[in-house]
Amino acid sequence: MTPKLEIRGATKAFGSLIAVSDVSMTVQSGELRAVIGPNGAGKTTYFNLITGFFPPTSGEILLDGQNINRVPAAGRVKLGMGRTFQITEIFPELTVRENARIAVETGQGYSLRFWLNAGDRKRIDDACDEVLEMARLTAKADRLVGELSHGDQRAAEIAMALALKPSLLLLDEPTAGMGDEETYQVTGLIRRLHRDSKYTIVLIEHDMRVVFHLADRISVLAEGKLLAEGTPEQIAANEVVQNAYLGKAE
Amino acid sequence: MNALLRHKYATTAIIWALLLTVPAWLPVFGGYTALAGRVLVFGLAAMSFNLLLGFTGIMSFGHAAYFGLGAYGCGLFLKYVSASTPLAMLAGTLLGGIAGTLFGLLLVRRRGVYFAMVTIAFGQVCFYIAYKWDDFTGGYDGLRGFARAALDFGAFKIDIANNSTAFYFFILAVFGGAAVLQALLLKSPFGRSMLAIRENERRARFLGLPIEKHIWLSFSISCFFTALAGSLYALLNNFADPLGLNYIMSGNIVMITVMGGMRAFWGPLIGAVLFVALQDYVSSMTTNWMFFVGLTFVCVVLFFPRGLMGMFQKGART
Amino acid sequence: MFQVVMFNLTNGLIVGAFYVLMALGLSMIINLSNVVNFAHGNFLALGGYFAFMLTPYVGFWGALLISPLLTAVVGYAIEQILIKHVYARNHIYSLLLTFGLGFILQDVCRFFWGPSPLPLGIPDSLSTPITADLFFITWYRVFMVAVVIVAVTGLFAFLRYTRVGMRIRAGTLDLDTVSALGVNVAALRSYNFAVGSYLAGLAGVLAAGQIGLNPNMGDDLIMPSFIAIIVGGVGSLTGTLLGGLLIGVAAALTTVFYPAASEAVIYVIMAVVLLLRPRGLLGEEGMLS
Repeated sequence: MTPKLEIRGATKAFGSLIAVSDVSMTVQSGELRAVIGPNGAGKTTYFNLITGFFPPTSGEILLDGQNINRVPAAGRVKLGMGRTFQITEIFPELTVRENARIAVETGQGYSLRFWLNAGDRKRIDDACDEVLEMARLTAKADRLVGELSHGDQRAAEIAMALALKPSLLLLDEPTAGMGDEETYQVTGLIRRLHRDSKYTIVLIEHDMRVVFHLADRISVLAEGKLLAEGTPEQIAANEVVQNAYLGKAE
Repeated sequence: MNALLRHKYATTAIIWALLLTVPAWLPVFGGYTALAGRVLVFGLAAMSFNLLLGFTGIMSFGHAAYFGLGAYGCGLFLKYVSASTPLAMLAGTLLGGIAGTLFGLLLVRRRGVYFAMVTIAFGQVCFYIAYKWDDFTGGYDGLRGFARAALDFGAFKIDIANNSTAFYFFILAVFGGAAVLQALLLKSPFGRSMLAIRENERRARFLGLPIEKHIWLSFSISCFFTALAGSLYALLNNFADPLGLNYIMSGNIVMITVMGGMRAFWGPLIGAVLFVALQDYVSSMTTNWMFFVGLTFVCVVLFFPRGLMGMFQKGART
Repeated sequence: MFQVVMFNLTNGLIVGAFYVLMALGLSMIINLSNVVNFAHGNFLALGGYFAFMLTPYVGFWGALLISPLLTAVVGYAIEQILIKHVYARNHIYSLLLTFGLGFILQDVCRFFWGPSPLPLGIPDSLSTPITADLFFITWYRVFMVAVVIVAVTGLFAFLRYTRVGMRIRAGTLDLDTVSALGVNVAALRSYNFAVGSYLAGLAGVLAAGQIGLNPNMGDDLIMPSFIAIIVGGVGSLTGTLLGGLLIGVAAALTTVFYPAASEAVIYVIMAVVLLLRPRGLLGEEGMLS
């Protein structure tokens, strides 16, 4: 079976600085893959390569077996790569439902319409209800997103990504800057999306606790290189990883 | 939320009730109906401008151009082509709207202060043309020699030319139609995409929204409505003034909007009430009106940045 | 014909020099503080009126030195009292604020010095023509261009070699980094605003000597200055310099051949630049979007 996402020897150099060096990774459909590494390991650059913020210096990025090296970020969204950002990107002064609705309307090609017939309206409403339900935000649908807790804002951002009906979800440090309770809430959401809704997910994270209970497989980056790859158990037992990463105080 | 909705409906109902009864109560306060007509015209111009500033988050500082072109288009049509008020308004609206649409093409990739500067410059181009093209536009003295014509429906006529109450209700009808269209626009998927751009352009882009196209369209729509207001202005005065195209007029439109509250649908109309009242009062009281108008601008910016409507709204930030 | 061309060419250079002085000050403030100072033309008028007041006591030369400094002090004070409060807000507020400020300053000038035009006396040595053939080129015109050249050279030297100047330049490129390095950005913006006001004041003194004083003397210069900045490219002071000279000379040369279009040519140049090179002649990509 063609893997959902495949990275072959991706390298990114900024002048003489090599931020990501010859990293490969294969993500199967339905898999939840975590990419971890200490700060400065090249995680963000690697994520940007996948989302299309810039093209790789060498190597290949394949989505469903198609090379997408030259497809820019917005085009990759259209190909089914939904994403969230490290700093939550939402429409703060609109309600949760309006946030979801804008995403639904854009995703389904309604955004240039000046009026909707009853059928269209129902289709959009249903799609909004569905993603809000998935993100467990139905009860807060009429609140302004900017007034919600950090965890709920992240959930709203994920709901917007889901509204585009992605086949692959890319999450950039989804629990960054959150307390325990919110981290728990967001990881619960990610787990449900993975187990119940069968989304393929790639997430970048430096909080190790989040990753070990969530991921099917983990890729460890250090100094721009792929240090190890395996199941959480294998990674936990890997001495090289322990020395390079776990040994250091996070 | 329900309370918020009720609040909105109540505001709208009160505003319409007041507007529909102007000829009855305005004279009691010493006003005259033409003053209310000016409020509606400036209010419509500012509401149209606010589609950009308040609802798309884009800062034009040259909207006088489209307002003024609307006025000139309307006046020139009445003077040189035909004495039909509706067709003249159509001509003015098309002139200003099409000019805005074309200028918009050069603007959409620019943001912030730079967007504002280019809009100012485009505005001055229009001012300059009207100012210099003496034989056609009347140049410095403005365009005179035309007058609004009575509406002729065949079976009956409405004399908006001489009956000031009839003319007020004509302006109110046009204003009302435009306001309903704008409200529908803001409730449509396109309207929501404007809000998305205002709130977070980067996020909107990553949803796959073609930002430039949407900004262009929103700019164009705003210009058509502004030009419609301009054509009403020409009818109101039976005169088109080159100063109506000047950047000072643009500044006034911005000020009306901010003073009333740019995050509220009716904010610019409220701003127009304040502005017309201030202009009328200050210019009759002192020759140093510029000082007081300038001082008002400064005070609004420093102390009331959310405008009058903003003070009664919760949640919105500046 | 030769005289006509020379007359307009020198005129163009002089007008261009004014645009440059105005536009450089405006441009500095836009680059560092993201504020389009609508009142810049009124700072120019203020500089001129200060010179008018000072000339009886310190003479033209003294006024030329002191008036721009006074204008800078006024600019600094206004920045401290009013403008610095809106840096963090939506750009619309800084535009409205300076727009209102322009109204106020104009009426203040009218209040103190009256609405009618006033002359500024210049030394006799400057009011004589340089030769009989070129009777229209007075020494004052030569002198003006020289002062502008000195001022512009001084400005670029200030930005390149002094500590404050270097910080202003660095702040223009990347304000966050400059701030992270511990530079007091608020103070930097105030100094920068004062320098911009100084240039406007200097232009005011020079203009007053040539065309006299009136309360809205800056209004005619502000729009060409905007266009000089757009043509040169936002974010580049060298671009502004180039843009100012270009439109000044182009307008003057058009006067020779087709006087009616002498102002229009400015707008045509802007339109052409925006169509063919949207970021301006020397503008940087990032600055525009």
